[in-house]
Amino acid sequence: MRKRLHMNPIWKKELVVGSRSMKMSWAIMGINAFLTIIVLIVLSITNMSAATSGYRYATLIWLFPILGCIECGLISLIVPVITSGSISGERERQTLDVMLTTPVTTFSIAVGKLGSAMSVVMMYMIASIPVMAIAFVLGGMSWWALLGLFGMLLYLGIYVGSVGVFCSSVVKKSVVSTILTIAIGIGIIIVTTVILYVVIATQSAMCDAKGVAYAGPGAAAFIMMLNPYSPIVDFMMRVMMGTGIDRLMEEMGTKSSIILAISRWWIPCSIVINMIISFIFLKLAARNISVTRNRK
Amino acid sequence: MLTIENLTKQYGKFLALDHLNLHIDKGEIYGFVGPNGAGKTTTMRIVCGLLKATSGSVTVDGIDAIKQPDDIKRKVGYVPDFFGVYDNLKVMEYMEFYGSMYGMERQEIDDISEGLLELVNLSDKKDAFVDTLSRGMKQRLCVARALIHNPDLLVLDEPNSGLDPRARFEMKEVLKNLRSMGKTILISSHILPELSELCTSVGIMEHGRLVTSGKVDDIIDASQGNQPIHMKVVYAETEEPLNQYVATILKEQPFVEKVSFTDDEVLIHFRGDDLEAARLLNKLFDHHIMVSHYYREKENLESLFLEITGGEENA
Repeated sequence: MRKRLHMNPIWKKELVVGSRSMKMSWAIMGINAFLTIIVLIVLSITNMSAATSGYRYATLIWLFPILGCIECGLISLIVPVITSGSISGERERQTLDVMLTTPVTTFSIAVGKLGSAMSVVMMYMIASIPVMAIAFVLGGMSWWALLGLFGMLLYLGIYVGSVGVFCSSVVKKSVVSTILTIAIGIGIIIVTTVILYVVIATQSAMCDAKGVAYAGPGAAAFIMMLNPYSPIVDFMMRVMMGTGIDRLMEEMGTKSSIILAISRWWIPCSIVINMIISFIFLKLAARNISVTRNRK
Repeated sequence: MLTIENLTKQYGKFLALDHLNLHIDKGEIYGFVGPNGAGKTTTMRIVCGLLKATSGSVTVDGIDAIKQPDDIKRKVGYVPDFFGVYDNLKVMEYMEFYGSMYGMERQEIDDISEGLLELVNLSDKKDAFVDTLSRGMKQRLCVARALIHNPDLLVLDEPNSGLDPRARFEMKEVLKNLRSMGKTILISSHILPELSELCTSVGIMEHGRLVTSGKVDDIIDASQGNQPIHMKVVYAETEEPLNQYVATILKEQPFVEKVSFTDDEVLIHFRGDDLEAARLLNKLFDHHIMVSHYYREKENLESLFLEITGGEENA
């Protein structure tokens, strides 16, 4: 007998509730308005420079990384706001207890909350297609690049969303949860960058002391794979310049063929690592929801 | 249906439940009474698998609620004392949401929900948004939601809390319907007259212990003879102040434990039966104390509750 697939009930409910809220419509309008302003500024600058050096369509191609980075930034800010009240909001409304008396697992609750946040992210992405398409029509980008960017945004949304759900399960106030999510995101960027910088500085100093040429950070560079934005950087580099982080490492002096081979697969490797981290965050969130049972 | 054995719950040094023992038969409506902090909600949350017990066991229809908390969820329906609202969700969608949490199919949920909404008198509100319902309606909807998976045991934590008299009456009607359907219900409430009217058995809790438990009438019968006597003295042949004289005479009599005075009444805490009460009145006449009225309070769950808990809580 065929078993029917059921959509996560929490995800479904959040979709129904979310779609009725005016907040989403306003947010979509705000995001599109912001992206449109950016496009208009770039077009104005291109038009102004056309008066002196002729019209260069090639410069419009830079709309792609600009809009892509802005969307990444917006997702990094919006998703924490959406997910911040996911668990803490249920606690505040006193609906979590009733939810916990049903057979739905705490992990399903966490996944449902993340799923609903991802649906919102997808809604924003779809709504921004017309604006993003300008970069492709005028800049001559391929549609695969646009799809790739959306894939990257989705991945980033899952990562940030899982951190958000985790933070929401830890703290009681939604505002604190938003700040904590953003702080964790910024913290990971800073920590991974600082670690890599210290490693490079130390290795470089040791090479100088020995009087040999510095041969790059080597495997230590892989610490940056923990940075959720690194696959996006690699993707942008590949789209805009045709080369990725592997080339950067090669230019820094890395000669190890294994390290270079791995760095050529930076995007899938980093995404897999960060998705595992997301899974851990969701598991921790589920555990925190269960801990409610031990509270009075 | 529900058996609780030696249930203990400790929060740090605070003992919320102290070796609680309780048994509720199938089809019984068991009323939980007790002052705030007595352990009623803690017991209910453990029964529903929302809280872990420190020790002891809870079984619902043979399933251990502590060892198999996931299995117990299909056996128990829980109505908390506060109704949490989702904005922008309609009554029927609310039912569908919880039905789908139990893995039920859409059609099945719709069919059952129709019946349940009728049971709680909300059939005409199925397309209304939940947050627009009155508090009484929300509470009744919560009962319907708790019944969506047809649980064997329904746990209601102060379902009448914060409701106006009309909403309380409507809730009482819903509970009466559930009683006639043979549902096993564990209910806590502060509105004791309603509990004594609804419940087949009651248990009075204090400091995490069950002070007394059994059929309502049995408990009241067993406690007969402890009710105070109200009396109004209009005259006494004495040069002493009236109250002082009356108190002195009363305290000399058997079965009188305590005498207190209000503005115009004497309250006698009396342990004797009705015959002894009549003898006491005769004694007063012998001492030329003239009484205009003399009556003994009728025992009910409320007075019993106050007596057992020492009047700590407003019942």
